[in-house]
Amino acid sequence: MLTLAEQCLERAKSFIGKSTDAPDLLAPVSCSPGQSESHQTVVLPVAISANTVSPPGTPLDTVRKAASPTKISHRRVLSDGSGELSPFLPPQVFQRLQTVKSKDISKKELTPIEQASRLNQKLKANYEARLARLTPDQVYQKTSLTLSLQRQMMENLIIAKARQDALQRKMEERRLRLQEEANRRFAASGAVTAEEQEQRTLYTNVLEYEQDHEWPKLWKANIKENPDNLTLVSHLVSNLLRFQLIFVMCSLFYISDQLLSLCLLSFECLNTASYKDLCLAGIEEAFFTPLWSALVALFRKVNTEREQAFETSMKLYHDASPGDVGVPLKLFPQDPDMQGSYPYESAVQELKLLVKDYCPQKKLECIVRTLRLICACAEEYRCLHEVDSSPRTAAIGADDLLPILSFVALQCQCPQLVSECAALEEFIHEGYLIGEEGYCLTSMQSALAYVESLHTGGAHQSVDMFI
Amino acid sequence: MAAGGTGGNSGKTYSFKVVLLGEGCVGKTSLVLRYCENKFNDKHITTLQASFLTKKLNITGKRVNLAIWDTAGQERFHALGPIYYRDSNGAILVYDITDEDSFQKVKNWVKELRKMLGNDICLCIVGNKIDLDKDRHVSVEEAESYAESVGAKHYHTSAKLNKGIEELFLDLCKRMMDTAQAEERMKGNGASQSASSRRGVQIVDDEPQATPAGGCCSSG
Repeated sequence: MLTLAEQCLERAKSFIGKSTDAPDLLAPVSCSPGQSESHQTVVLPVAISANTVSPPGTPLDTVRKAASPTKISHRRVLSDGSGELSPFLPPQVFQRLQTVKSKDISKKELTPIEQASRLNQKLKANYEARLARLTPDQVYQKTSLTLSLQRQMMENLIIAKARQDALQRKMEERRLRLQEEANRRFAASGAVTAEEQEQRTLYTNVLEYEQDHEWPKLWKANIKENPDNLTLVSHLVSNLLRFQLIFVMCSLFYISDQLLSLCLLSFECLNTASYKDLCLAGIEEAFFTPLWSALVALFRKVNTEREQAFETSMKLYHDASPGDVGVPLKLFPQDPDMQGSYPYESAVQELKLLVKDYCPQKKLECIVRTLRLICACAEEYRCLHEVDSSPRTAAIGADDLLPILSFVALQCQCPQLVSECAALEEFIHEGYLIGEEGYCLTSMQSALAYVESLHTGGAHQSVDMFI
Repeated sequence: MAAGGTGGNSGKTYSFKVVLLGEGCVGKTSLVLRYCENKFNDKHITTLQASFLTKKLNITGKRVNLAIWDTAGQERFHALGPIYYRDSNGAILVYDITDEDSFQKVKNWVKELRKMLGNDICLCIVGNKIDLDKDRHVSVEEAESYAESVGAKHYHTSAKLNKGIEELFLDLCKRMMDTAQAEERMKGNGASQSASSRRGVQIVDDEPQATPAGGCCSSG
């Protein structure tokens, strides 16, 4: 298992190395179509809130969403034959992520099989309703209703299976056609080296991807029309980088998950919640410690604009009081005779430690500690204001928590937090997303987005606090 | 692991996420605080519990883990609303019965949630502060008929008098369990069967649904 882990690590390292050096075309094609397609849908949830400041296009915002295919009907197994250790993401990853997100499916295109099963569900409901309506003397009808239901359901499934197969065949035919096109383009004299073969496969993937997606065509046309526009090219590069990032992340996610299942499979006794936590922590630590710096470097490149916005706000508000970002007066001490210290300093100090850890789980714990310290400080300050304050615990709701957290983030003076949290969101394990860690991370991201917005319209936005 | 009730078939534990939405000052935090006071008798209290609360419940013999996520009411924090409510099984939308405006905000939230999450999420619209009924500005009929029109359930609560809160959460849990069970049944039915390839028209049973009890099977 150790050797396997080592191999995985090497592999992940080389991915990251590649992608930080130069973005190549590998990324957009290697992501399964479903995944990249949902790039467009991913934009939606963020973009819907009109006054958002974070670049809504960042697909990283919700990669787990991204991994749930929008058009399942287009999903297919990569059929180029070279199965073993290809750099392309195994479809199981998406299937796995997909099951988690199964509730999304209702809004997306269903595969024929899924359509049929929905249809059958309806049939069955109707059948049950009919049975319920039968009067005692109509009981003989029951058998015929049952038989007809079974027949109908079976037919639906058979038809669906046929459709699914046809679809699959069509996709494979297309792939073959594109493969030939690639072969023509790279028509080499003599034997084909492994490298050339890889290039061909890559090109086939590009062609295939372009069949499914509009944007590469648009970009090409755009660049042709404006050959002198250099910013266009840099935009394209950063776009490609994003895809590369998704790919690297999915690979990492997949590998660490594989390791975890391997762990649990080989040692069945470990399959309890607390052992699972321990295993995951161990794997993560071994896995991410050597990788995190490189990973964050990549995230920082993609999130440059957000970090810049954060920095601008940070400079603008460097001597702001908690009240300036909307913290209610009763939740911080007004007299400035705190001798070199400032409100919520302990929380700020804690948050500053976040960048010093290299393992997602530890970073999450750091964020949780920061929020708890905020609550503790807030209680303390409230007691200073209220004379008869009976020691009530934990009365800080989100209405108070977020302004304070924004203040703490400002004081932290670390734009890298933006990228760190973006990365954390991708690597937080499903099980933790719903829990306290997930809540704290979400709050942190919300506060960071607010801080980023401060230098644009935030100043007058914060006024609404005092009305 | 995932939201929405996973686990073994017999000793299953449901895991639900519930977001708490509503304008500032409508009493969201008080509601949650009341709810933990009622049930949280063990000493496992985190300082965060007014914002983020987890509860283990036992409802009709089934174990339920409830995670309640409070959100900030201020408009300026709404940009990241979607990351708060994603994967939610339920939403509690609170308004203040003395504040018409807060009811409008609830309507906005309903629109957004339905648009982003569809019908899978159980919505509760909660008129809080019924202890101030003499200053009521949102009529009971209006609120209830609105709730019905969007497939939500309406509740009246008073955090101050500790009224209606326990019922609200219990009812919501039961609804979320129903939804999760319906989803499971659906998944169970999707088993594919091997068969020879054959093309044809799929059978859709379009029986008129609105047949009242007692009527015979007249097909349109």
